Amino acid sequence: MSAQHKLVDTKSFTSGLWKMNPILYLMIGLCPLLAVSSAVKDALGMGVAVIFVLTGANVTISLIRRVVPSHVRIPVFIVIIATFVTTVDYSLTAFSPQLHKNLGVYLPLMVVNCIILGRAEAFASKNNIINSALDGLGMGLGFTIAIFVISAIRELLGQGTFMGLNVLGRNYTPFIIMLMPPGAFLVMGFLIALKNSIERRGQKNVK
Amino acid sequence: MKKTEIFTGITVMFTVALLSGYLLAQVFKITRVQIEKQKKIEAERLNKEMFPEGVNFVETEQQGLSYISVLDAKKNQIGMIFEISRSGYGGPIVIKVGIDNNLQVKGVRILEHNETPGLGAKITDNKFLNQFIGKTGNELSLRKYHSEGTIDAVTGATISSKAVTEGIVEMIEKVRSLNIASSPYSNILPEEEKNKKMGKSQKGENN
Repeated sequence: MSAQHKLVDTKSFTSGLWKMNPILYLMIGLCPLLAVSSAVKDALGMGVAVIFVLTGANVTISLIRRVVPSHVRIPVFIVIIATFVTTVDYSLTAFSPQLHKNLGVYLPLMVVNCIILGRAEAFASKNNIINSALDGLGMGLGFTIAIFVISAIRELLGQGTFMGLNVLGRNYTPFIIMLMPPGAFLVMGFLIALKNSIERRGQKNVK
Repeated sequence: MKKTEIFTGITVMFTVALLSGYLLAQVFKITRVQIEKQKKIEAERLNKEMFPEGVNFVETEQQGLSYISVLDAKKNQIGMIFEISRSGYGGPIVIKVGIDNNLQVKGVRILEHNETPGLGAKITDNKFLNQFIGKTGNELSLRKYHSEGTIDAVTGATISSKAVTEGIVEMIEKVRSLNIASSPYSNILPEEEKNKKMGKSQKGENN
């Protein structure tokens, strides 16, 4: 990894957006993705929460990476992540109880979300603070973009609405399966296929 | 593993946990006021939902039983709202029950619970809770146990359903035995509180 040597590497930000997108490439953090992507509003709330926790946890872990002995790193990471998640949890209860209710158990479950622990372990514990912050932002944004697209498709087909506004008219018959877990898997599968085909085409052009 | 390694591990974990705990306490302090406020708004909304014709909701205590007395525009008591706690399958279930003066259930809401998602958690569904409306006394029992019962338990969640049903029945019986419902509102409050109440409502009218 070249990121280890450079002080600021833009790749640590951009890789999470497209090439190493946590949902479409690394396929981590799928639990909240499947659970809260049936409505765009909830999905965006989850995305913002992930960006905040991921960036905060990455920065903190990168800051103390030289002090933490490797045999206790996992519990230390979990405590740090849990602190950020609980902060989000309290803030949402206080300022947006409806969103808090909709996210339900998936908000506290972010503590053991593999995007966050995965990035802490794979990136933040080996890289400097700036790159770790960029990685957190990039991965968080990548997650948010993916969950936004998936939830937009699911909400549109499943309810005929976008952000709660009716788009497809009253006569639209909802495609109920889109609101259920299989719908999330289907949409995710098609998006991954799309991403792969775009990348393959790009490679051919290079050749 | 060397002794010093164990020692540094313990020190690091302890420090991280201590700092996290301190930070969370601060976050909690900041958000608590707002959280309490949101809870109150939500409680008022539920009260109004159970008794749309209610004008005043007065917190009352009588014979050791505290409840919310619902008053109409003429200051006659039209119902009572109780909060009861009953242990279910995964911990206490906090139930809000509204009853009218004939001790018939006006509405039931589950405020807090820790029941199994997908099974016991279905006690929060309107399909289960609406069964209670308009019923009293021995009509309120699970059909599973009593032939005269009218409440269908949530499939696979008998313990949770039983806890809710028994909690409500017990509460109604208590109200019946204490004979609270028949006493007019003017007898409920001590003189000074009544004056305070009157002053408040007059202020409200001026506004």
